[in-house]
Amino acid sequence: MEEFLKQFFDVGFMVDHFDEVLDGFWITIQLSVISGVLALIWGLILATLRQLPGKALMPVRFFTIAYIDVFRGVPLLLLILIIAGGIPALEFLPESLRLPEWFGKPDNFWFGVLAITITYGAYMAEVYRSGIESVPGGQMEAARSLGMSHGQAMRSVILPQAVRKVIAPLLNDFIALTKDTTLVSVIALNEVVLVGSDIQSETFNSSALTLGALLFLALTLPLARLVDKLISREQSRFTRGAPRVEAL
Amino acid sequence: MAGAADGGGSMLSLRGVCKRFGELEVLRGVDLEVKKGEVVCVLGPSGSGKSTLLRCVNLLEPPEEGDIHLEERSICRGPGSGTGEQSWELDFVRQRVGIVFQQFNLFPHKSALENVTLAQEKVLGRSGTEARSKGSELLERVGLGDKLNEYPERLSGGQQQRVAIARALAMDPHVLLFDEVTSALDPELVKEVLDVMRELAEEGMTMIVVTHELGFAREVADRVVFMDGGVIVEEGPPAEVLENPREERTKQFLGLVLDR
Amino acid sequence: MRTTRLTALLAVLLLAIASSVVAGCGSSDDDTTAGGGGGGGSEPLTVGSDIPYPPFEQGKPGNYTGFDVELLEAVGKSIGREVEFEDTSFDTIFLDLARGNFDVAASAATITDEREKTVDFTNPYYISEQAILVEEGGEIDSVEKLNGATVAVQQGTTGQEFVEEEGEAGELRKYPQGPDAVNALKNGTVEAVVIDIPVAENAENAGQGLEISAAIPTEEEYGFAVAQGDTELLEELNEGLKEVIDDGTYAQLYEKWFKHEPPKEIETATHEAS
Repeated sequence: MEEFLKQFFDVGFMVDHFDEVLDGFWITIQLSVISGVLALIWGLILATLRQLPGKALMPVRFFTIAYIDVFRGVPLLLLILIIAGGIPALEFLPESLRLPEWFGKPDNFWFGVLAITITYGAYMAEVYRSGIESVPGGQMEAARSLGMSHGQAMRSVILPQAVRKVIAPLLNDFIALTKDTTLVSVIALNEVVLVGSDIQSETFNSSALTLGALLFLALTLPLARLVDKLISREQSRFTRGAPRVEAL
Repeated sequence: MAGAADGGGSMLSLRGVCKRFGELEVLRGVDLEVKKGEVVCVLGPSGSGKSTLLRCVNLLEPPEEGDIHLEERSICRGPGSGTGEQSWELDFVRQRVGIVFQQFNLFPHKSALENVTLAQEKVLGRSGTEARSKGSELLERVGLGDKLNEYPERLSGGQQQRVAIARALAMDPHVLLFDEVTSALDPELVKEVLDVMRELAEEGMTMIVVTHELGFAREVADRVVFMDGGVIVEEGPPAEVLENPREERTKQFLGLVLDR
Repeated sequence: MRTTRLTALLAVLLLAIASSVVAGCGSSDDDTTAGGGGGGGSEPLTVGSDIPYPPFEQGKPGNYTGFDVELLEAVGKSIGREVEFEDTSFDTIFLDLARGNFDVAASAATITDEREKTVDFTNPYYISEQAILVEEGGEIDSVEKLNGATVAVQQGTTGQEFVEEEGEAGELRKYPQGPDAVNALKNGTVEAVVIDIPVAENAENAGQGLEISAAIPTEEEYGFAVAQGDTELLEELNEGLKEVIDDGTYAQLYEKWFKHEPPKEIETATHEAS
């Protein structure tokens, strides 16, 4: 037992390597925030495209549904490897796109952002869709009867209500996304897991990994409690009596 | 009786209107004429197609067959111009026909005033000031001048329905459709809504009212229409249809309703 | 009714999964027993290795091959033990060995003092150096030219150590597997790779447009590793290794995999376990 504690919970060791691990975690945070915001936006766009009405726009709906199916079905790890291996090999692209080094971040950072946005955009699109479909049909009828076009009705009436309903599940997806950023370690990005495992292979002590885990909890626990609070607040607005989800 | 139809020309003319939902035929050839300023009340058992009729007029349910003329202009674009919504003059209709729903359908994320100004700004392009001024005026008219900034969830059913009426009025409609607007209300709230409708009728608004409120029909309608099984069975002045119905089906229906 | 059908379907599914797991347990090329052997036994020796790392280890499960594989198989034969290789990741290989996940680690592993704190090494079986691998015509042909460049290595290797200590790379990318680092060079995301010479030679000969621009004589020696204190197994392996060198099998394998004669030093190289 003592061996185990020394191997994984050596506090002195964690203190010594704190800066290093924190640097790695900072990359994790940047990756999470940038990809997260992009995925939230992209998901909304996909969800809107998916339900544009009219026969003429059938191809748009079709491709959106196909996109969502494909990228919910391909594991993120595979996508990261394919993108990081494939894009630099596309000779016809200009160098600034093939090996992007925007804002001082290396290409593997941006490949990670791309892969995560593509995948999580698809997940979030489905969350938005459930929100849109849960808005009562009468809302669209009222808006259209007043003369609003489909687009106006979506923008002013449906989407504001839909998004409000799905903030909690979207936040849950975001939490999942922050953890999936660790997958970008396979293309040698120095996020917190790679840093921790690097320290481990040099020093044969795994406490840096535990430290990484603790940093993650510091990020995800407050978010999870926030989700609980949001859910219970939504419920208490519309149901009488005790909320079904207890917020701590 | 309400503002009598002053023979000011045809507002709405339906001929041979048919509507199907899959296998189910809901409207089987309906003919109806509504003059400017007329108030027509539509009665009938559930499933008779009364709501569907209204929704055909404002094209929420575009009919499969038949002709509809609004202000003597055909609103059917003719064959070959697409199916469903596209074969009808949607904009023309929606800008002249207002509707109030049984379930109010107010926008919950907007205040009462915002509910009334939203479409004014987005569809009619009125400025914010103009829209708000008209909106507050209308809300005052329906007795909600002190509730401009309240959200629908804090209003009673009757109040919400009055906001819905103001919202429809803000678009300066030529015809107002009322789809059983008091059926979802607690009895003590029904009167306030009917009072607003009565005033509108007296001011000369063309109205088609689907309702179960026979008292209202008797006092306010210029004409009463009885529907059953997707067709109009009988129509005429309220005194006739309600006191001395000719058809058997009408008698049956009224007997049931009055016996309550 | 729908619920009973669903339950039946689930039951069948579970049964199918359970039976394939049981069947899988019996197959011989899927050895997951931890530390089955150990010194003085007669059961097969389990060997952890980061596969692929050509030309030292490569191939598919059940069909592994490479210098490490064939050498250790020969050593095993000479001491009367069968040898079973299993794929593992390099960056935790010594920790795993120390914990007993397998009996021996054979993964082109350099003997270093740092590693000696956790495991024990046999006498050296290979003398190596690092190489700088670049695209054909690439400019980085010396350690100094690594300064400021984007360099790829395999995580946890002496190549990584070298670049971290001696070089001043602009950016150091650590990939989970050796071939990943080479791929990054091929598609242009890095400018050079620092990696064991034989691996670099292998890449050079693969006709992918890569070449070794410089050798870095780091005087590294590879050894097989066992858990610390497993002296019996260590002695057996050293004996077996000596035999294999003496009877010429070593030279044969060396020529086969590296295309030239083994250095003389191997015959006398020893290593004291600390």
